[in-house]
Amino acid sequence: MPPVIDVNKCNGCGICDFHCPLDVIHFGEGQRFPVVKYPDECWHCGSCRLDCPVEAITIRFGPEMLYL
Amino acid sequence: MAKNLEKLGVTFETDVLIVGGGLAGNNAAIAALEKGARVLIADKSSLYRCGAIAGGVDHFMAYLGTDTWDTQEAYLEWVGRIARGVVNLSVQNAVFCKELDAAIERMDRIGCTLKQPDGNFFRTQSLGQPGPYFINFNGKQLKPLLAKEALRLGAEVLEKCSISGLLTEGENVTGAVGFNIRNGNFYIIKAKAIVLATGNTNRLFENPSGLPFNTWQCPANTGAAQTMAYEVGAKLANMEFVRITVVPRGFSAAGLNALTGMGGKFVNASGEEFMSRYHPSGNRSPRYKLVEGVMKELYEGRGPVYIDCRHLSQSDLDHLKRTLGYDKDTLPDFIEQKGVDLGKDLLEIMPSEGMQAGPSEVCGSGILIDEKTASTAPGLFAAGDCADQMRCVHICTTGGYLAGKMAAEFAMGSGKEPKLLLPQIRELRKKAFAPMRTSGTISYRKVEDTLRKMLWQNAGPARNERSLQVALEKLEELSQCFKEIRAKNYHELMRVHETHQILEVAKMMCTAALARKETRFGVYHHRTDYPEVDEEYEGQIVLWKTEQGMKTAFKKLDYDKIPLS
Repeated sequence: MPPVIDVNKCNGCGICDFHCPLDVIHFGEGQRFPVVKYPDECWHCGSCRLDCPVEAITIRFGPEMLYL
Repeated sequence: MAKNLEKLGVTFETDVLIVGGGLAGNNAAIAALEKGARVLIADKSSLYRCGAIAGGVDHFMAYLGTDTWDTQEAYLEWVGRIARGVVNLSVQNAVFCKELDAAIERMDRIGCTLKQPDGNFFRTQSLGQPGPYFINFNGKQLKPLLAKEALRLGAEVLEKCSISGLLTEGENVTGAVGFNIRNGNFYIIKAKAIVLATGNTNRLFENPSGLPFNTWQCPANTGAAQTMAYEVGAKLANMEFVRITVVPRGFSAAGLNALTGMGGKFVNASGEEFMSRYHPSGNRSPRYKLVEGVMKELYEGRGPVYIDCRHLSQSDLDHLKRTLGYDKDTLPDFIEQKGVDLGKDLLEIMPSEGMQAGPSEVCGSGILIDEKTASTAPGLFAAGDCADQMRCVHICTTGGYLAGKMAAEFAMGSGKEPKLLLPQIRELRKKAFAPMRTSGTISYRKVEDTLRKMLWQNAGPARNERSLQVALEKLEELSQCFKEIRAKNYHELMRVHETHQILEVAKMMCTAALARKETRFGVYHHRTDYPEVDEEYEGQIVLWKTEQGMKTAFKKLDYDKIPLS
């Protein structure tokens, strides 16, 4: 289920939404923080984590991938 | 006219439209801008992180003149050998060799050098190469650096835009239409030339992990270019091959080159280094041979299979650990979260999902291009993994750049203003939004899942005349479901369009596979009814749209002479 956004660290800049190649992360009007709206469509490319200016994103692989 | 157009959508006008802003499209944009053309890039994501190298890349193939294997002649000789029967050496010379020096210099200039901090190239040998052609480099920031360069030169970018169709007047391509995947804005783009650069086709075959977006290449790449080019009558080639690779079990991640390039060994359950049984190059065999070896070990009961790096020296292991994330940013996390230490443990591997892509690192699959990257449709160019002669980082960089130059020349040399036809735009607009209006209730995912399973069964690593015909019949029936697929929002609308593209590519693949009555590149095109390589098929299966449906023809290729001019 990667990525995981730590809302305590997130500064709400929206880069993760803007850069996600799969349109998985959405940060729309009225939201305080971005949400991982389509977790099943994540490519695990790491772009969101690479570009997060406050290191609020971690990548956590689910059991469906780790223990296949 | 202009007013009527504005009623239909947001309008744009440019010299060169680039569809897909990944490695090839971005290089095309830089080239066209340097030529002085106006450039508009449309991508479903942002220019900074889109396409197959979004999160980074770590290898670039090149010859550097240090030895007898390290020359243009030796490289092309090897290409003609390893990709025989699909690769066009004259086009390779144009799209790669002639652009190589400039590409290495350009990467230096934009701040993504191919050299190590000590100023030298770090080179490794894998995948059947006669010498260490792969340059390992840190390409984690390559995509944003290319984006910055295109923006600095004045590129206009349409982000979160899914291009859904090409506009034509007669046989000339005059523009494209698309929609915003968040707010549904409809875009109408007038262009003098178009470069299609949307990559290969993923989510096409059943994924061994059961997770369709867990793909080796970018799952947003679903054959948009191939489908749209076909629709306007352009020819395609090399579409029959099902590319498969070897990946860590559970995670379809790139990184194989890095492991085998450093000396990683393939071993089976009893610890036997099995690849030498399949190919004289052993662990450094061509990719299709590695896949065949891994599949056979698994299916014949000698699995699980692993990559063994335990014998590597500490300095090689350190290099590997430091650089493994350059190609796939999250692969080190995966290995760590699995509890694997490459210096002490084996890493379990499996065959990846299948995809439409070139059967070798040095040859593509897709839109048929000539030495100028032009398709057979006037004004339409192709670059990157969607072109029949481009593949891998090196050719997408060099060939992408050439496509931008050629498209700019075409656009600026044509005195004619492209003419847009209102009824055509209205029709494409209606078609684009149809899944939002249907009373049907089928989800795109259901249709895609069925297609993937069916295609793997009938047109995967073992195929024959009957299975391919059955696949085509079922694809036709799946096409009939289309009017019942519903999109609940514009994100889903993008996905429905992708499903349509995947389906169209599947039809092209099966049709081309029927025409190639031989086996070539092992499991990539294994006809169980024609199990041998046949010299008569040293050439391409070319396909195109006619009023009577899809037609194919065989185009012989010449390997007697290596083009060096």
